[in-house]
Amino acid sequence: MTNGGVWRLLRIAALATIACAWVASPATAKAAGADAEAGKQIFQEKCTACHTIGKGNLVGPDLKGVTALRPREWLQQWIAAPDRMLAAKDPVGIALLHEFHDVPMPNLGLSAAEANALIDYLATAVPGAAVPPAEAVSAPAPATSAPAASGDPEVGKELFTGAARFRNGGPPCMACHSVGGIGALGGGQLGPDLTTVVTRFGGAAATAAFVGGSPTPTMNAVWQRTPLTADERANVVAFLAQAAISERPTQAIWRLLGLAILGLAILLVAAGWIWRRRQPDGVRLPMLARQRNTARGQPATAPRRT
Amino acid sequence: MKIQSQVSMVFHLDKCIGCHTCTVACKNIWTDRKGAEYMYWNNVETKPGTGYPTRWEDQGKYRGGWVLGGKKGRLRLRLQGKWGTLGNIFYNPYLPTLDDYFEPWTYDYQNLFDAPEGDDQPTARAISMVTGRYMDTIEAGPNWDDDLGGSQVYANNDPNLDHATEEERRLMEEIGRVVFFYLPRICNHCLNPGCVAACPAGAIYKRGEDGIVLVSQERCRAWRMCISGCPYKKTYFNWSTGKAEKCILCYPRLESGQPPACFHSCVGRIRYVGLVLYDADRIEAAASAPQAELVQAQRDAILDPFDPKVIAAAQAAGIPDAKIDAAQKSPVYKFVKRWHLALPLHPEFRTLPMLFYVPPMGPVLAKMDNGKYDTMDAKAEGLAPMLSALEKSRVPLRYMASLFSAGNEEIIRKVYRKLVAVRVYMRAQRVKDIPEAEVQKALAEGGTDAREVEAIFRLTSLPTFEERFVVPAMERETAVEALFPPLDPIARNYPTHKGEVGIGFHHDPQRGM
Ligand code: SF4
Ligand code: SF4
Repeated sequence: MTNGGVWRLLRIAALATIACAWVASPATAKAAGADAEAGKQIFQEKCTACHTIGKGNLVGPDLKGVTALRPREWLQQWIAAPDRMLAAKDPVGIALLHEFHDVPMPNLGLSAAEANALIDYLATAVPGAAVPPAEAVSAPAPATSAPAASGDPEVGKELFTGAARFRNGGPPCMACHSVGGIGALGGGQLGPDLTTVVTRFGGAAATAAFVGGSPTPTMNAVWQRTPLTADERANVVAFLAQAAISERPTQAIWRLLGLAILGLAILLVAAGWIWRRRQPDGVRLPMLARQRNTARGQPATAPRRT
Repeated sequence: MKIQSQVSMVFHLDKCIGCHTCTVACKNIWTDRKGAEYMYWNNVETKPGTGYPTRWEDQGKYRGGWVLGGKKGRLRLRLQGKWGTLGNIFYNPYLPTLDDYFEPWTYDYQNLFDAPEGDDQPTARAISMVTGRYMDTIEAGPNWDDDLGGSQVYANNDPNLDHATEEERRLMEEIGRVVFFYLPRICNHCLNPGCVAACPAGAIYKRGEDGIVLVSQERCRAWRMCISGCPYKKTYFNWSTGKAEKCILCYPRLESGQPPACFHSCVGRIRYVGLVLYDADRIEAAASAPQAELVQAQRDAILDPFDPKVIAAAQAAGIPDAKIDAAQKSPVYKFVKRWHLALPLHPEFRTLPMLFYVPPMGPVLAKMDNGKYDTMDAKAEGLAPMLSALEKSRVPLRYMASLFSAGNEEIIRKVYRKLVAVRVYMRAQRVKDIPEAEVQKALAEGGTDAREVEAIFRLTSLPTFEERFVVPAMERETAVEALFPPLDPIARNYPTHKGEVGIGFHHDPQRGM
């Protein structure tokens, strides 16, 4: 069994090397190659919803060559806590924010080490080669790498409102979001109104990538275990793109007001009927009033309520 | 047979002088608190009158108590069923308003000291204890119709007169015949309490060992259905704590062997307290008896504590011997069951109230003749015919029947015949101005004999403190033991502590859950 012997030797050698490296090298001097690997992992998990490397802008900018463009310190801070830098009015950050549809980059909760790994990866990444399929989490081999407005807006609307179910069992978008074109009452208030989301995010492709990656903590919590399929995404985005055109009609507001008034009227009538026997003045005051009437000349035996 | 014991009460209305000492005693001990100012757990009403709250007896308005007519003609709450409770849970239209009780007030006494110098005497204006604002006119109080005050309105609107004939009304209003008596009221600690049944939160309960009905201040959720459910309007709502409150029959006093404060302080000594044994299995039948038989059905539910069978069953049911002994000495048992003199107030409400009243004798008719004030019709044969002429009573029997026997005049007439026999017999003994034949006739009509009459006289007029109040050791500890694991003196791991049971004031009651 020479083959087996060779394999065993190799394995022992590899283990020994790793062990030596572990023991000998201080943590800071880790091989850059290993870090880049970790960085690639993180990029695929957390960044692809908004960014590509060399494939153009989505919600966020194309990150090709970004390590040459910005100093490493800045990148470290920005990746670790973009919200804090925006709050501190970092000029570069603000400029980027305005350039990219005023959609702020969320804080992804990355540690300093993870941010470093990510930067290492960005520095080594070959344009295009490493761009992962957007739906890495769900469908391993997408038929269409960039689901554009090719979906069916009607189906998308049904998915959005919950009339049709998502295949993986996720909740309808309407549970948390409102959008134009789904009736007077609108949808949930937890997430933002999505009527103009496609224009805000700069196109259907960007929106689709965002939906697939679900980068915000709330979205992530909901969709991590019940991801959308590529078709569903395409359909929903197609619907959202249409909603942006249709806008929310103003008469919907009036219809809402009308419904509210009608509901109030029904409730009042029902309450008036249920409690029609109430006597807001109690017993004593009406009794005195009756007696006063009797004293004013009406027969002494006015009909008595029993 | 399921024997239980109940602390029960008798009020002898002939002896009530309407002094309100009982009310003051109760007020000072229990309801002298914020939110409870308007409550009178004990109050004394003048009858005829509208009472407190106004016309509380009018169940057409207040919907208290029970009626027959549920499924298969069984008892149901007059107030509402489950669905009605749900529909009215946030707004109950049958509650009395604060005006029907009265708006409690105090006076601005400080002004008497602080007023600047001026031409007029400073006054102490009335201030509402609810809103804190000055009240310019006070229009009602807890006993506004006291001694027939404002009787043109208040006495006339007594719900018990709703069915009186024109003639009866006219006679009762006639000057010289006008009559009134006092009706002190506390919670009746009913056997079939409407308050308990109406509570959606299950916060009201009747203590098993002594029958006292209590509101748990922790479980009460302020739905206020008990206030409607009680036909006597003896649960109240504390607007400050947001909890219902009611008479607790001074259970802390009872547990330490004393009578309740209103009993103890009663000037007329009209009040008796004692234990009765009753059969819990008969409650439903007694409460759903036909209207005319309600009084007798309730008497039947009360058991004879001398009957060996009852004693054995009581012992088997775990009632301590001291309580059986107390039940035998109970003045309540004598008045209610042995002598048939004391009657429940408004038995037609079907809550089986356990406070009984000996109805008052109306005053004898009298008139001024040649400057001499004399009883009418006193002829040669003496007073007896007059005393026993019930038809000439100033208060029509019908009125009394409406109060104490659900309209059954026969029961009231029997009670009065016996009371008259006591009067005639004792007058013959003491004053000796009534012929023996008349005495015998009165005794026969009253269905009684000399021995019984003497016993009634003794308990009515000369009872000692111990005869009026037979409060046994309540043995609360045995009752509690059943609810908690046994005490463990070795590990000193006492699961119970003082104040843990009863009304449950582990902490002051507060609004909310
Ligand atoms: S009298 Fe007392 S026990 Fe009876 S229903 Fe009213 S509050 Fe309840
Ligand atoms: S203290 Fe006694 S006599 Fe006085 S009002 Fe009260 S019950 Fe009547």
